[in-house]
Amino acid sequence: MNSFNALLPLLAVVAGALVILLLEVFIQKERRDYLGYASLVFLAAAAFLAVMSWGKEYSYFQRGLALDDLAVFLTLLFLLAVAFVILLSLKYIRQQDANHGEIFGLLLLALSGLMIMTSSSDLLVIFLGLEVLSVSSYALAGLRRKAEKSGEAALKYFLLGSFASAFLVLGLAFLFGAARSLAVPEIVAHFKAASGSPALGLAGLALVLVGFGFKIAVVPFHMWTPDVYEGAPTPVTAFFSIGPKAAGFVVLLRVFMNFWGAVSSGSALFWALWTISVLTMVVGNLVALRQTNIKRLLAYSSIAHAGYILVAILARDQAGLVFYLAAYLFMNVGAFAALIGLSKKGTEYLEIDDFAGIGFRYPWIGATLSVFLLSLAGFPPTAGFLAKFYVFSAAVRAGLVPLVVIGVLASLVSVFYYLRIIVAMYMRDPVREVDIEVENPALFLVLFLCLYGVLQLGIFPGNILVVIRQAVAALPIF
Amino acid sequence: MSFPILTFVTFLPAAGAVLLIFVPKEKAGLHRTLALSITLITFAASLLLYFHFDGAVADPQFVEKSGWLGYGINYHLGIDGISLWLVLLTTFLMPIAVLSSWTSIQKRVKEYLIFMLLLEAGILGVFVSLNMFLFYVFWEAMLIPMYFLIGVWGGPRRVYATLKFVLMTMFGSLLMLVAIFMLYSYYYRATGTYSLEIFDFQKLILNPQVQGWLFLGFALAFAIKVPMFPFHTWLPDAHVEAPTAGSVILAAVLLKMGTYGFLRFALPLFPDALEKFLPFLSILALVGIIYGGLMALVQKDIKSLVAYSSVSHMGLIMLAVFSLTMEGVEGAIYQMLNHGLSTGALFLVVGILYERSHTRLIKDFGGVSSQMPVFSAFFLICLLSSVGLPGLNGFVGEILCLFGIFKSSHLLAILAVSTVILAAAYLLWMYQRVMQGPIANEKIRTYKDMNKRELAYLIPIVIMMFWMGIYPQTFLRKMDASVSRLLDRVHNREKIFLREAGSITSPKKAVAGAFALGTSENVPAGFEETK
Repeated sequence: MNSFNALLPLLAVVAGALVILLLEVFIQKERRDYLGYASLVFLAAAAFLAVMSWGKEYSYFQRGLALDDLAVFLTLLFLLAVAFVILLSLKYIRQQDANHGEIFGLLLLALSGLMIMTSSSDLLVIFLGLEVLSVSSYALAGLRRKAEKSGEAALKYFLLGSFASAFLVLGLAFLFGAARSLAVPEIVAHFKAASGSPALGLAGLALVLVGFGFKIAVVPFHMWTPDVYEGAPTPVTAFFSIGPKAAGFVVLLRVFMNFWGAVSSGSALFWALWTISVLTMVVGNLVALRQTNIKRLLAYSSIAHAGYILVAILARDQAGLVFYLAAYLFMNVGAFAALIGLSKKGTEYLEIDDFAGIGFRYPWIGATLSVFLLSLAGFPPTAGFLAKFYVFSAAVRAGLVPLVVIGVLASLVSVFYYLRIIVAMYMRDPVREVDIEVENPALFLVLFLCLYGVLQLGIFPGNILVVIRQAVAALPIF
Repeated sequence: MSFPILTFVTFLPAAGAVLLIFVPKEKAGLHRTLALSITLITFAASLLLYFHFDGAVADPQFVEKSGWLGYGINYHLGIDGISLWLVLLTTFLMPIAVLSSWTSIQKRVKEYLIFMLLLEAGILGVFVSLNMFLFYVFWEAMLIPMYFLIGVWGGPRRVYATLKFVLMTMFGSLLMLVAIFMLYSYYYRATGTYSLEIFDFQKLILNPQVQGWLFLGFALAFAIKVPMFPFHTWLPDAHVEAPTAGSVILAAVLLKMGTYGFLRFALPLFPDALEKFLPFLSILALVGIIYGGLMALVQKDIKSLVAYSSVSHMGLIMLAVFSLTMEGVEGAIYQMLNHGLSTGALFLVVGILYERSHTRLIKDFGGVSSQMPVFSAFFLICLLSSVGLPGLNGFVGEILCLFGIFKSSHLLAILAVSTVILAAAYLLWMYQRVMQGPIANEKIRTYKDMNKRELAYLIPIVIMMFWMGIYPQTFLRKMDASVSRLLDRVHNREKIFLREAGSITSPKKAVAGAFALGTSENVPAGFEETK
């Protein structure tokens, strides 16, 4: 249905971003928490508007922006993720000298980029969303202005990100040249007709894949991830690990999943993605084994998880992919929340040696972090297990047995490094003095909500599964 | 029965663990009492299972089934004559394990007991699940408490031991998960409906080659858990490092999950593949018997001696299972219970010694019996039960196992007898060096004999040893029907399948479809590449 309503959630977020940026001028530095609370209000408004559009299939700008059920569901996920990130930053930015006020505005802007990306089937609109997201992300990565690593992260992210965007635009140009349109249905129609050589279109698709491969951080486009994750302020890292990644995957779901099956030459694309998935799972997990900095370790773990999610794309398991993203949101944001909990003014404890003995010293942080790590490793009865179960069982049903065998063996490797953190927390004696400021109610709220999410999705995901299946049911399959 | 007794038994320990979270840390005594009462109530509840269990019925009883996640994933519990005994063994040993760690665990008592209770819930869940998904959830989830129990409360090399235990077990179970996915997918192709029910999968007839791959997936997971030679390397490490109660549960119950897996899944699901791999597996089991026994002979540490004796005994159990005869399989199940009791008891005995001496090296002992006469009697009974002395439980199990093995292969049976000879050698020799002779050093003179708490947990075990040795009918009676059904399924599966095909709309077509799988273009595209 063509309706202005399609824009409402997005407008709420953008209006929020602008208002917050403006308010920042008038609010004293000590009271910036209120900016965070104000942004939460805007997020809640956007969430309300999004829920109201469920099942209505609003679209606007000649379907340039289509708020279908999948877009609504992901919008809600993103809103939740950003709300978590805002709650986590409230204290963090004061502690770690990143209290410049822009963080909330930038987060909301990045969020609007995510929302644009997920609610369109037009590659040009998707590109616009991607740029909104990217530009705000570059600034977010460099928010700890006095920390060298933060500057390095921002610069690396910016340089490599622009490079990837350039690839993407070139790919779009090729595709437009071949199909005379950038709307996915028309591109697919062109490939189906296949009059003449599809080489131009395929080259375009390959370049687009490079661009998005960078965003979702799959091997071999992952080089930036550990540095950016390590340098960026930790709440922002939590955002990077779920936001851009999830949006990138939804674009892959909307764009690439339609090609093989429909198009004879699509199998080249299929095998390209197959190879990328295997490389990502293997390299991500193997390199993670050698990390001693937990943020870098989680960076490689997020690369590895991108590999598992690619398996869902290859198996055309849309519901499994979306469920994986939801599960990943809770377990990964939860893990980062626990990392943020382990900090005090001016110091973050991020080396694995810092973790020695903290499990018994800070029981709640230790216990919740253990649950998140076990979930990331795929132990039942957590969300991580069920997510992997759905994805891999769909892949076996699609006949991708070797891929699944590689996947489960790679996840066996991952068990080792996740358990290593738990070993440090519970089975080693403290190596050095770790003294944290425990007083942080917002952080504990996030920890418990994530814990609840991980267990709820792992044991009784009933309603959420129904909603997800409904959200993907309406997707066009070509 | 309308009361969901299996759910109650399985989740009561987990509920107890949650309860313990809210008891303040300082009250260690309250924690211990609570944990002991919870495990005792669980045992009492599981006794109801025994009294209401109808031994004449082969099908699972006390069945509870309700939908859970859809697509074949159901909450489906039930026990038959095989799992009944393993459930009882678990609930019987848990209070004993809690009692045995009453004074030896002084550090972080609360967390320790929480993990013990979670472990019990996980193990019980494995034995009562009839849905493959549920089974796998418990199978994996139970690793987490064991990982902590060894890793936090274990000996000096605990981190190495616990990681090795978890990673080796997971290696097998992840491949089993892939095999489960394939069964899931084959069942869907054959019938058009989703199912993960164990008994539905038994109706699926797969082409032998496909069976071979799937069987390997399952067998590897279970062989690591049992553990069969050459996958046993995690066992001595885990046993030596684990705290006493951890060792007891590990040896007595956890290893049985492997043999149970063979009986429940690998045998009835893949009879053709089983036939093909049987000689190979039997030889591995035999090697395990002899290798474990020889290794036990040369151990310097009592605990690792008992650990290697487990490898040997589990080899005999596996060999009896692979004989596929009524005597063999019943003997194997009986021997699983015996091994649980006698090896569990041996670990307890070693724990009692260790609490006094803080050493487990055989050379540090000598002449202990003159100092601890009551203890030495209990030690001897447990040891003789493990050796298989007539009148004690081990004899009945071993003789049944050997009968069964003899029926299927004379040569194997003759070689398998070595388990008894070797057990007598390494156990009695160890007893002689530790308990008899002159008192080896002055420290031994300070040892006190067993106290009431230690008596309280060893006496029930010893009673059971005599009971099982003198009147085995109590136990065998309730497993007959289930075992004969199991063997019937292994031997005459296709006939049964045609008779029972009620759930599949057109049996003939389903059979044809099932046969066709793996031979025609019906094979999933990726599968051929793995061959």
